[in-house]
Amino acid sequence: MRHIVDLYDSGVMRRALIEAVLVGSLCGAVGAHVVLRRLPFFTITVAHATFPGIVLASIVGLSELVGGLAFASLLVVVIYLTTGDRGLDTNTAVGVALAGSFGLGVLLQSAQDGFTKDLAAILVGSVLAVDRRDLLTTAAVGLVVLGSLAATHKELVLRAFDPEGAAAQGYHRMLDLALLLCVGATVVTSVPAVGTILSVALLSVPALTARLVTQRVSTAMVAGAAYGAASGVLGLTASAEWDLAAGASIALASASLFFVTFAVVSATGRVSRRHVLRDAVPA
Amino acid sequence: MLGTIRFLTEPFTPGYMQRALAIALILSVLAGLVGVVVQLRELSFMTDALTHTVFPGVAIAFVAGQSLFIGALVAGAASAVLLTLAARSTRIDHDAFMALVLASLFSIGVIVVSRNRTYSADLTALLFGRVLAVDSREILETAIVAVVALGILALMYKELLLRSFDEAGAEAMGYSLLRIDLVVNILVALVVVAAVRAVGTALVVALLITPAATARLVCVRLGRLVVASVLVAAVAAWLGLVISYDTSVHHGVRLAAGATIVVVLTAIFAAVATVTAVRTRRLRRRTLAEVAS
Repeated sequence: MRHIVDLYDSGVMRRALIEAVLVGSLCGAVGAHVVLRRLPFFTITVAHATFPGIVLASIVGLSELVGGLAFASLLVVVIYLTTGDRGLDTNTAVGVALAGSFGLGVLLQSAQDGFTKDLAAILVGSVLAVDRRDLLTTAAVGLVVLGSLAATHKELVLRAFDPEGAAAQGYHRMLDLALLLCVGATVVTSVPAVGTILSVALLSVPALTARLVTQRVSTAMVAGAAYGAASGVLGLTASAEWDLAAGASIALASASLFFVTFAVVSATGRVSRRHVLRDAVPA
Repeated sequence: MLGTIRFLTEPFTPGYMQRALAIALILSVLAGLVGVVVQLRELSFMTDALTHTVFPGVAIAFVAGQSLFIGALVAGAASAVLLTLAARSTRIDHDAFMALVLASLFSIGVIVVSRNRTYSADLTALLFGRVLAVDSREILETAIVAVVALGILALMYKELLLRSFDEAGAEAMGYSLLRIDLVVNILVALVVVAAVRAVGTALVVALLITPAATARLVCVRLGRLVVASVLVAAVAAWLGLVISYDTSVHHGVRLAAGATIVVVLTAIFAAVATVTAVRTRRLRRRTLAEVAS
């Protein structure tokens, strides 16, 4: 135990730990909605879409967060505007956007000869490189996102469980757009910690684990946050101890937590065959 | 006119550009065809997941100094089975479960590569490929995979079609849906394997999704869908290589060849989508006007 505490002796490691916990809990909470609304694929796409934005931002010297967020929001709005009853099939639009934005990012990166920012760092994260400002940004974005989700919680849950009812009561697709933008913002803040490719891990796995232990959406958000934070701590510790890539370790930690929880829940009989995990309960 | 032809053919004088074109064309025919199946079965997510799950195989082979191709092949087969089972899970939401599988396997790949010192350069090469550095052996390997995949496609054509359009019917006729789904996923995995050297695991998803999606904007009949999809992929491969060569050699801007192909593909999709959207709107307005008068 003493040994593990020693790992966090330096300022770098302490900042990394705070970032991992912040990002983990934010992603875990938002993830409840990602899992509920079946948005993992969309999340991957948004994550890919932040990539050209980040590359562009580092080329022109803007904040990466702003670049990533701008590009991700642009993509969310384009997908929102071109799909649904407006023609394009959502899955297709999302797929094309996913593939295209990755290509664009690599293209931009290759055009820039003296590109200093490490491509791998964007793809798989570099949590050890976060500074004070990154921590503050994560916390601020987290507060805004969680605040928005809390403020519209009732409506979001209604929309998830009874789309027709929600439409009849006058909640239109703007609500979806707001949720998608929240997911986008969360993805962007998680990029420094786990990278664009692995952010989907934190945005779906802790929430999926939470669904093993609770059926209520609000409880799942809290449990998801706890699992996400635990994944951050476990992953970072393992990465420091055995010298592994931090982002990947955090993702693997979240997966391990899922399997352990699944084994425990199955063994104690909390999940029976009839207790189908796909059906969540409102609120 | 002559200038245009020169512009389109001149880049392919050096041997490495010819090899790049050869492998890009093989891949576009293969991915264009398999992409139609992906499109019909709405397997975009599965495809993306497969590209990520093949990665650890490539990474392990790379670190162990073995052939990337063999590593990709083993990982491709294993992940096709794993993801087919994941997609059928009834106890857990399968989208989230697939995200779990893809994230875990990809992480293992990253961890394996990160044990090497030249980690970030290697990671980039494995993810995005090096189309300008392929040799004739790799072209041969890709061609063999393509032939095998096309053979499977030809043999299973009827069943795949039936499964796409009439799931209940296929089941009633005694076909094992699991087996058909597995075959589709193996096909997709084979395309990923074939593409590892040239465009890497991250960009192949564009070849599998975008050409067929573009074709679907303009065609309905399966035969035309296949032709259009392959054509779009091949044109984009050609144009992408030409543009990347031209800007690098004549304008001093180095554009990664694989990524240029992907961006050209996406641009073609966006252009076709815009044109069809405008035409549909005009058609609708005309119909409304006729109804009103």
